[in-house]
Amino acid sequence: MQVGLEVFLGLAAVLFALGLYGAISKKSAVMVLMSLELMAVAVNINLVAFSRFLTPEAMTGQFFTIFTMVVSAAEIGLGLALVLAIYRQSRSIELAGMNRLKG
Amino acid sequence: MGYVAVIPLLPALAFAILAPLSGELRNRLRGVAVAGMAGSLVLSVIAFFQTWPGGHAEHPVWHVTFPLAEISGKPLEMGLMLDPISAAMLLVITIVGMCVQIYSLGYMHRDGRVGWYYAALSLFTAAMLLLVLADNFLLLYMAWEVMGLCSYLLIGFWHEQEAPRKASQKAFLTTRVGDVGFAIGLFAMYNAAGTFSFEGVLGSAASWAPGAATLVALMLLFGAMGKSAQVPLHVWLPDAMAGPTPASALIHAATMVAAGVYLVARALPIFEVSGVALTVTLWVGAITAMVGGLLAAVQHDIKKVLAYSTISQLGYMFIALGAGSVVAAMFHLVTHAFFKSLLFLGAGVIIHASHTQDMREMGGLAKHLKITTITFTAGSLALAGVFPFSGFWSKDEILAVLLHEQQYGVFVIALIAAFITAFYVARLWFRVFMGPEQSDELHEAHTSMLAPMVLLASITTVIGIGGYWFAEFLGHHGAWPEPKIYLPSLVAAGAGLALGWWAYGRMNVVLNTRPLKHRAGYAYDMLSMKLYFDLTYDTFVIKPYMRLALAFAIFDFKRIDGVVNGVARSWRTLSDRGWKFDRTVIDGAVNASASGARALGSRLRRIQVGRVQAYQRYVVGAVVLLMLWTVVKGA
Repeated sequence: MQVGLEVFLGLAAVLFALGLYGAISKKSAVMVLMSLELMAVAVNINLVAFSRFLTPEAMTGQFFTIFTMVVSAAEIGLGLALVLAIYRQSRSIELAGMNRLKG
Repeated sequence: MGYVAVIPLLPALAFAILAPLSGELRNRLRGVAVAGMAGSLVLSVIAFFQTWPGGHAEHPVWHVTFPLAEISGKPLEMGLMLDPISAAMLLVITIVGMCVQIYSLGYMHRDGRVGWYYAALSLFTAAMLLLVLADNFLLLYMAWEVMGLCSYLLIGFWHEQEAPRKASQKAFLTTRVGDVGFAIGLFAMYNAAGTFSFEGVLGSAASWAPGAATLVALMLLFGAMGKSAQVPLHVWLPDAMAGPTPASALIHAATMVAAGVYLVARALPIFEVSGVALTVTLWVGAITAMVGGLLAAVQHDIKKVLAYSTISQLGYMFIALGAGSVVAAMFHLVTHAFFKSLLFLGAGVIIHASHTQDMREMGGLAKHLKITTITFTAGSLALAGVFPFSGFWSKDEILAVLLHEQQYGVFVIALIAAFITAFYVARLWFRVFMGPEQSDELHEAHTSMLAPMVLLASITTVIGIGGYWFAEFLGHHGAWPEPKIYLPSLVAAGAGLALGWWAYGRMNVVLNTRPLKHRAGYAYDMLSMKLYFDLTYDTFVIKPYMRLALAFAIFDFKRIDGVVNGVARSWRTLSDRGWKFDRTVIDGAVNASASGARALGSRLRRIQVGRVQAYQRYVVGAVVLLMLWTVVKGA
């Protein structure tokens, strides 16, 4: 059975929507970071799917995905470090409390 | 003999030191002026004795010139020279000047601006000394003008009061009328002779174009008439009595008014070439001697009597010049300078003692002011021409010249003037020194005031004898008085004195202030109106002039000021508009952009809530909108 492009795109859309919902609605910074990661994964699925179905002979899209995965890993590392630093400061990781830089 | 140049320099230096100082310091340093004057006096005495025995007036004893400028190729030279006339004048100026300065120490010591008084006095003396040392008419004219300024300053010394202020203006303007004539004379002289130096001008006068000598002489005479207060330019001198009395002694008796006589004496060769000018001078002098004497006889102000008598005596000097005798004129100038300054200084003491200048309120001073009485009497007798006082000798010399020149008409006038002089001298003397005392606190003046008077009185008493040698000194033949001249002269003087005594000296008429008024009637009225000179000037010159000035002022006020104000007003309107434009449009634009940015900022600031997830929503919303837009556009 041949699985079509639409299935991948649909899965990616669902994941993206879940990630977006989580990013917007979660109170905890860690949960938001995880949601962001989910959205990045959705994008990666898109990239791989397009690469596999539209340009099967070239590996460009797949390598590009590896790069974005590295970038998001770095990003999540940085994000978690920030969260830890904030936690040490205020004993809380709730996003609603992180507004001390507002003028 | 270079020290002669220092003579006018010393008082000028005193002025230069005093003038820039502040009031209090200047008052304290007034001794500088006295010291300068004393230095000049010593040098003048030396100069006089180095000039002695004189003789040749044409050859100066000392002469120095230096080129000042060049006028179309011809050098203009300035210089100083000392000849017997200058030497005599130097001595008179410095002696009288010294006496006046010492006298002023006492007379003016309570005045708050005595320092400035001394500064002006010094500048005046310096100018007069320079005038008599000048070797050319241009330098003489310069010194002449400086003196005009100084007389203005000194007459108007008490400028807080109305009378001195007006008198100073009158003196300045009246003499200025004469000065214009002098200036025209100078131009004509340069045109004719091509030089201003005495030597060049007087030497070439005979060869000038016809009429030139007459023009120059008459113009110089006009200038001299202004300075020496000859009719009809005499009106300033009586008013000038508003100045301090010692200044009157120096300026309006002894020296400044002598400058006119000196000028004519210097320029006499031009007058002689002209002939006509000589006659004019003679008659100007005769009329002035007469008018001055008559007016002196009706004055009540002691200083005005002396002022008119000065005018009259200056008339005598002009008579002598008109008769062609420098010697007689200069001799009368010298004797008059001494006795008239003596009389003025005496008048100062009298005014101080009796606190008034009105002779009707004086009387009986002889009992209290002994020294003043003696010295003043000497001066009075000299003025009246009584033997052996100096006035007798010099008047006699003038009469002798008139007789010699066969000017019998003027001779008679001079005799009548001598009679009138003696009359008003007696009137003054009896009024002031005799009769009942009108004040009980009379006291004699300070020694510093009496000493100069005593000195001048002794000079006045003895100097007349020197007439013979004075003539020789000036390079003429001296002569002793002859009976055919001094007898009528003495008779005239005696008659005048007797009439004066009869009218004012007898005990029963002393209080009667108007015997003359009653007996003379209309003539007295005419005289008390100063022969209508002032009235005439007032009606025909001053009033029309003031009216013209008023018309100009009105024109100025209405038209010219109107234009100026109109321009100013339109500028004002224009700038007002500009201001409004600036406020509404330009400021409006600036303010509008600022307030716009502010409003926008305050709106936008509401979406900056500070919550990360809110921003996320914005981003998502924006992306959704973008996508919708793309989809709609694509469709």
